[in-house]
Amino acid sequence: MRRLVVLVACLIGAGAAAAAQPLPVLTVFAASDLAFAFNEIVPRFERTFGVKVTLVLGSTGNFARQIEQGAPADVFFAADESFVDHLVAGGILIGETRSLYAQGRLVLATARTAGQKLTDLRQLLDARIRRVAIANPVHAPYGRAAREALITNGLWDAVHPKLVYGENIRQTLQYVQTGAVEAGIVALSIADVPEIEWVPIDPTLHRPLNQTVAVVRRSPRPELGVSFIQFVNGPEGRAIMKRYGFRLPGEF
Amino acid sequence: MDLFPLALSLQVALTATAFTLLLGIPLAWLLARRRFPGRDLLEAVVVLPLILPPTVLGYYLLLIIGARGPVGRALAAVGVELAFTWRAAVVAACVGSIALLIKAAQAGFETVDQRLEQAARTLGRSEWSVFWSVTLPLAWRAVLAGTVLAFCRALGEFGITLMVAGSIPGRTQTLPLAIYDRVQANQMGEANALALIAIALVALLVFGVSRLARLRF
Repeated sequence: MRRLVVLVACLIGAGAAAAAQPLPVLTVFAASDLAFAFNEIVPRFERTFGVKVTLVLGSTGNFARQIEQGAPADVFFAADESFVDHLVAGGILIGETRSLYAQGRLVLATARTAGQKLTDLRQLLDARIRRVAIANPVHAPYGRAAREALITNGLWDAVHPKLVYGENIRQTLQYVQTGAVEAGIVALSIADVPEIEWVPIDPTLHRPLNQTVAVVRRSPRPELGVSFIQFVNGPEGRAIMKRYGFRLPGEF
Repeated sequence: MDLFPLALSLQVALTATAFTLLLGIPLAWLLARRRFPGRDLLEAVVVLPLILPPTVLGYYLLLIIGARGPVGRALAAVGVELAFTWRAAVVAACVGSIALLIKAAQAGFETVDQRLEQAARTLGRSEWSVFWSVTLPLAWRAVLAGTVLAFCRALGEFGITLMVAGSIPGRTQTLPLAIYDRVQANQMGEANALALIAIALVALLVFGVSRLARLRF
């Protein structure tokens, strides 16, 4: 019993120690299509600026709601512009810091376990494709774009019964990665994983995913947030973002 | 592997269980021993968290303790932040688990022979003293069983926590949230390791306590 108490005390102590950060901490809420690119950008920014970044990945719409309710984000990287504009209008985000940082692309992904790679959205109707994953179109911009692409192609009604919604685009990818679904519509920026094959989806089928960022008004360190945005939009950040398939401001 | 989620979950579950005991024991006693107007309503409210979907609870809790909610604003006025901090995870764990303690403790108190309490009163004991020297010692097994269940439920709390505390790594990402996050990221190795830790912890606790106290769950 005494040992258990000591163990528990140690664990709590470890938790408290982990919570106490000597470096300034920047909390970044980022759309989950940035998962891979930001895993490279964040450590470089941390080294350059001597700060610690807490990166939280999820769906843009969920984050918008959380930030509205006071979540401790300093910077919000959304996967489109609508949610940022809404929060800027509400005074939650600082309008002067709003900037475009990338344009996202959709791909049609096929699980390697599902056989031959799909090359066209119409093939989602094939009988061998039993389930199709997209991000939740209500609150995830990539899901919204996927729905638009299916509607433009006149496939929505036929594909709808096969759809499985991921909470965000990273979870959507995971459904395809694990072979839980045969195919999915995911972000190009996270599509380079060994378990799937993909082809790009014509970007004119959906409204552009103009990925927009802004600093949160409640942030106690807005200047650091601005620095991070500039870093992502600077030469080092752009090189990485480009490598993950984003189109960059000034290129479209 | 990052063990922060484990440490945080233990911290949250222990704190939540402490609050649950403070609030739950008096409520359980009240329900077991007193007849008053609104008692049935209180009894219904107490079990509500067991019946409602956690997301519903989390959503309304967030409306109350969020930056724009009444409690959130009142706390902000005195400089305390609740939503999206580890304290919000404690509130979530309390809400999710308190019914388990109350129902178990209430059942325990109800099985205590009231004549024994009467005897203590005739010997001049106050109600407070009757509770500590008669009722609780006779019902402690039920209270302990309820406490263990509540602790395990607090440790595993997911839905309410996700809504009110978010899933911020290194700050509010508890063990269950971390497991969910790792699965989303397809980091199955880490997800499995964290899940095994959670299972081992709860199994050890339930087994250990039931051995020590000869409890039946």
